[in-house]
Amino acid sequence: MRYWRRRQVPFDLEAELKAARPEPSPDLVHRLEARLRTSGRTRAGSSLRVAFVGALTAVMLMALASVGGVGYAASAGRDAVVSVKRVVTPKRVVRVLKQSPAIDQYGPKKKKKAKKVKKAKKGKGAKGRVRARTRPPFTG
Amino acid sequence: MLRRDPLANPEPLIRRVYAYVAYRVGDGPDAEDLTSETFERALRYRKSYDPRKGEPVAWLLGIAKRCVDGRGARMEFASEGADEAIPSDLEEDTVRRLTVARAVGTLDERDRELIALRYGADLTARQIAELLGARTNAIEVALHRALGRLRETFAIDDEAAVRKHEASR
Repeated sequence: MRYWRRRQVPFDLEAELKAARPEPSPDLVHRLEARLRTSGRTRAGSSLRVAFVGALTAVMLMALASVGGVGYAASAGRDAVVSVKRVVTPKRVVRVLKQSPAIDQYGPKKKKKAKKVKKAKKGKGAKGRVRARTRPPFTG
Repeated sequence: MLRRDPLANPEPLIRRVYAYVAYRVGDGPDAEDLTSETFERALRYRKSYDPRKGEPVAWLLGIAKRCVDGRGARMEFASEGADEAIPSDLEEDTVRRLTVARAVGTLDERDRELIALRYGADLTARQIAELLGARTNAIEVALHRALGRLRETFAIDDEAAVRKHEASR
């Protein structure tokens, strides 16, 4: 007799749908499980390696820090950066100003112009004329 | 930070995903292919799983849904016309499966998807709503209607079987 001829009334469709749920073949289940487990193991192995390397690094850093190695390494790094920077960056061009108070005071000395002194004419009054030039004019 | 592996316990997940896919495309090699494809994609994108967004099964069913939707247009339901292929000496469980699968196969795509998610993958109406981006209430109503249509299919089958049985006497 066929299945639907033997069905009882009332018919519980929801229970029927759950009971008649399609099942995968055991072969498919095993195949997929094996695939997932292999992949999972690889992933777990790699994460374990990463964790080990991290722990080792932390231990080394702590050991270095206890003897002041971290500060030493940091300053060495800074020095290296400064050295490289000095080599790589172009040299600064220093522009010298032509006029500044400092140059007036400390710069190369300018040659003083020699004063032109008129030769006193020979004869009378030559000395007096010279004196008159050197003294302020008489204003009364 | 180490994340929770969504595929840590694969067997129940494989069963639920397969049941969902088989309710949608029919039991058989196509369903197996789509289930395998779903898990391959899940392996590839397992880092994208976010436990805050839902359980691993809901994440996997989202992937399975995309796999089925991608191939569904080219695929006919595998159990269509299986009525004639049921031999009378098959065990009751097998006959039940085939009958239910055939009845589900007569539903339209939307109803079949809801039935597959609710009774194949065993999700609650709320989980289905989250997966499909709908309201829980709307999903419950749609499921109720889908079950009604499925009942009608069973009733038609019953009448046809009775008529056939009487004609053969």
